[in-house]
Amino acid sequence: MAAPVMHTPRNVDIEITSFCNLHCAYCSHFSGPGDVKEDLPLEAWLQFFSELGRCNTMKVTLSGGEPFSRPDLRAIILAIVTNRMRFTILSNGTLIDNEMAAFLAETGRCDLVQVSIDGAIDTTHDAFRGEGNFMKAIRGIHALQANRLPVSVRVTIHRRNVLELEAIAEFLLEDLELPSFSTNSASHMGLCRKNAALTQLTVEEHSLAMETLLALAARYKGRINASAGPLADAQFWLEMEHCRRENRERPAGRGFLTGCSGPMQTIAIRADGVIVPCSQLSHLTLGRINQDDLGEIWRHHQSLEHLRNRSRISLSDFSFCQDCPYTSYCTGNCPAIAYSLTGKIDHPSPDACLRKFLIQGGRLPGVSCTYES
Amino acid sequence: MTVSPLQSIIIDMSEHHKKGFVANPKVVLREEFDNSAILFDPETGNTFGINPIGVIVWKHLNGLNNLADIADIVCERADAVHSDVMSDIEAFMQNAVDLGLASYKVK
Repeated sequence: MAAPVMHTPRNVDIEITSFCNLHCAYCSHFSGPGDVKEDLPLEAWLQFFSELGRCNTMKVTLSGGEPFSRPDLRAIILAIVTNRMRFTILSNGTLIDNEMAAFLAETGRCDLVQVSIDGAIDTTHDAFRGEGNFMKAIRGIHALQANRLPVSVRVTIHRRNVLELEAIAEFLLEDLELPSFSTNSASHMGLCRKNAALTQLTVEEHSLAMETLLALAARYKGRINASAGPLADAQFWLEMEHCRRENRERPAGRGFLTGCSGPMQTIAIRADGVIVPCSQLSHLTLGRINQDDLGEIWRHHQSLEHLRNRSRISLSDFSFCQDCPYTSYCTGNCPAIAYSLTGKIDHPSPDACLRKFLIQGGRLPGVSCTYES
Repeated sequence: MTVSPLQSIIIDMSEHHKKGFVANPKVVLREEFDNSAILFDPETGNTFGINPIGVIVWKHLNGLNNLADIADIVCERADAVHSDVMSDIEAFMQNAVDLGLASYKVK
């Protein structure tokens, strides 16, 4: 029996523009199918937000490109408010000034503004984001804080900042007094595919990042989190290793491609108005806003149904997973990275494979663990 | 005689039996897949789960129906007895008013 599906999506992720004032070396947006030449005009978005209002969607996440590069962003946000939704904005922070922050605060509907900060000092942050952008982003954070907006930081861990993680945590949590920040790492999508050797962590660096981040997460309890990247890997892989050592029974939801529950609650829209399951699966077109009925697509589109049913595919069916001692404890992780690396959505992500990591000489923090094939 | 806060609420509610209730127009009703539903207040971001009876009640908070009218509608739709549902509806409405999800219609 198919998993029950909500009548309409609860959350919608929108790339409100494809334009960005920066061109970061590991950006997942550029050079992918979502990197479209022209943005939709304001009128098209206003029409779509009315549809979201009728769908009783609760939350919109605006990303890009850089959302604050749109001169009509205020009208876009007011339409979100008018249609009874709340919003989150993902930004590089460089274009946020006090006036804009005050406007966001006045709406009373802003759940979060997430700003990307990759270093404790300008040279680290600017190494891949461009000179002068560290100070601009910090000014943006100060403007958000001055207007009492919920602000968080996302740190993308890469080869140039992996030795600076402790200083970054101190800077963000103590100097800037942010309540928390999250981490991920440069992953094999978008521009990072071209710049992998420059940006993506080696196995040794990944091991080091996991160890450092776990220690920092323990030091700053509950204030450093991750759903991808070295910290998430450390937490998940350690649990898998403990399960293996204790020969535990397969936990619920493990042993199958259950690494992504996004399509159960969320759908995404590219900057050109094409509806996709996720911004990271922007090649998988489901329809177009203002032409196709969003609710119909949400409930009945075969591709979405297929993604929702990935959770029935057993990892033991893959030759990639044959003889792996972790198969019963694994979820296969992110389908978008699996697609980027293998060309297949219905495949475990090789990037998140603990066995592969150990074979390549990776270390799990705090446990002596080597893999012998 | 002193009146406890709880008693005063009950008294207030009984006074409003004859008045219409109106849903806060900003609050969103999301009916999900399994007869469950949530009320979402975008002003606060809070969500509140409601059952199928709550959904019937919510859909009739148009300012025209008082508690007795709504109880009649619930009895008709849910095959229930008026006296059984009245106290539940009163409690539901009291919560909804307290949480800013609904109000008494001002004439």
